[in-house]
Amino acid sequence: MGTPLCILEEKRKQAKSRLEEIGYFSDTKIYIGMATCEIAAGSVPVMEIFKNELKNQKNIYISQKGCAGRCNLEPTVEIYQKDKEPVKYIQVTPEKAKTIIEKHIKNGEIITEWMGK
Amino acid sequence: MEKQKFTDRFSTVFADQNFFKKQKRIALKNCGLIDPENIDDYIFANGYTALATVLSEMTPEDVIKSVKDSGLRGRGGAGFPTGIKWESTAKQVNDEKFVVCNADEGDPGAFMDRSVIEGDPHAIVEGMAIGAYAIGAKKGVVYLRAEYPLAIKRLQKAIEDARKANFLGKNILGSSFSFDMEIRLGAGAFVCGEETALMNSIEGKRGMPRTRPPFPSVSGLFDKPTLLNNVETWANISSIIVNGAEWFSSIGVGKSKGTKVFALAGKITNTGLAEIPMGMTLREIIYDVGGGIPNGKKFKAVQTGGPSGGCLTESMLDTTIDYESLTKAGSIMGSGGMIVIDEDACMVNIAKFFLEFTQSESCGKCVPCREGIKRMLEILTRITDGEGQTGDIEKLEELGNMIKKASLCGLGQSAPNPVLSTIKNFREEYEDHVNNKRCKCVVCEKLITYTINDKCIGCSACRRSCPVGAIAGLPKEKHTIHEDLCIKCGKCFRSCKFHAIDKTSIAKEQK
Repeated sequence: MGTPLCILEEKRKQAKSRLEEIGYFSDTKIYIGMATCEIAAGSVPVMEIFKNELKNQKNIYISQKGCAGRCNLEPTVEIYQKDKEPVKYIQVTPEKAKTIIEKHIKNGEIITEWMGK
Repeated sequence: MEKQKFTDRFSTVFADQNFFKKQKRIALKNCGLIDPENIDDYIFANGYTALATVLSEMTPEDVIKSVKDSGLRGRGGAGFPTGIKWESTAKQVNDEKFVVCNADEGDPGAFMDRSVIEGDPHAIVEGMAIGAYAIGAKKGVVYLRAEYPLAIKRLQKAIEDARKANFLGKNILGSSFSFDMEIRLGAGAFVCGEETALMNSIEGKRGMPRTRPPFPSVSGLFDKPTLLNNVETWANISSIIVNGAEWFSSIGVGKSKGTKVFALAGKITNTGLAEIPMGMTLREIIYDVGGGIPNGKKFKAVQTGGPSGGCLTESMLDTTIDYESLTKAGSIMGSGGMIVIDEDACMVNIAKFFLEFTQSESCGKCVPCREGIKRMLEILTRITDGEGQTGDIEKLEELGNMIKKASLCGLGQSAPNPVLSTIKNFREEYEDHVNNKRCKCVVCEKLITYTINDKCIGCSACRRSCPVGAIAGLPKEKHTIHEDLCIKCGKCFRSCKFHAIDKTSIAKEQK
């Protein structure tokens, strides 16, 4: 048995491989705010749309996240794509979510007017 | 440098730079960046490194020294040096000790603790485990309010996952240190955020404060030495261990080191949570981070510290945010509520709002708090109803100062603050209410007069909406309101589509 730091290092490797399995290192990562405040602003249906519409897509990781502190702009959706600047959409509704999937995720078209400043 | 980058990654990965560029995230470092329900995400984001470092390389004395040197102070509001608290608990010789996390966040408009627990629950687990190691405790309790169901769920999952991964439990990470923790739910009493009342509540007793001394570090939960810190304080611990005390104490100003999370609420463009380094001015946080006052309105006051704090005016906007400066300015740091008030708000009414809250939350143990706040509220209600008497303002001041001196716990000691600070800074508004029976900001219902002006086209919408038949007038002719019958409900004002109803507050002599 090694020191706690060695054991943690081992655990971190295991965590990494588990994250790999769930697609954490995909080229596209989508984070949807799911704290109490975001849920109150309507993030649950937004999450459902992303999950349903993209369930057969490979190389996309969808995750919930905590509150980033932007109460007046919620629900927020962040999209990280490999080698690109992250994009943060604000006040996302289910309809906006569908458009974001069609335009941004599938065609790489960023919808600037829905972005946070 | 690699480590430094880690805590700064918030500003680099977030797209909306304006809001975040003046912030520094330590307590909220993972909030909004990781999946709070996945322990792997936390471990991969450098999580539990601090705990493993402590168990591998540091003695409990080293840990305490590190926390002491960092200059971290209690983030619950009082600002007691955390390291000294840890040291005095560690010194106690007892076979059983406890660590407790105060997550009973009760201030109206404050939600820092909820955000930390919902966004990064493992930070609390890790912080508490480190604290337990430092003082020699085997058991921890998180006192969390029942009104936060999602926070309860996520923290519960975090504790279970940590147990499975041996970050909690027996012989943590192969060391000789064992520690476990549980959640106790609070039933929503504001006074239970006070440390001794909180411990009474955990013990199953009525939530009322105890006399101090003995302090919790000597005789706390179940009369055992207890280390009790706020959520935000615990969330700072792992960063101090990983990045070093020197790094932490390099942030901030004077005796206030590190950062503070504020919940920006009220009349501010960017409502939300902001973690800012100590030493920033109120002006910077309100105008730069918060984006200023919406709708072109003018700034009037800012209330820091929730119902226990005070209102600060425009002339105090250059006060720096640290424990000493805010106290000197007449408010407190508090747990981090920051309510911005614009020119439309009546300060007497605001003071009444906060006092209504503290009055209903007083536990009743101390007479000055139980009876005194009630009397103060009666006087304030009288003033806002237009029945204020000469001498009322002085009576409020006298009562307020007496309650502050003669109450046992923080609730009573701070409850008069909103009233005293608004009297100090906005005395003319109180005088206007008392002497002229006028509310300049047209807020206090009983002091408002509704009149119909010449824009009236006689559509009768107001007449039909009036529940007491106080409006008379023939169709297509100008209507009138009988002031004696009017109950000031404001229905006519809202029903008029032609801006023909004026809402004013007229001084008594002019009537």
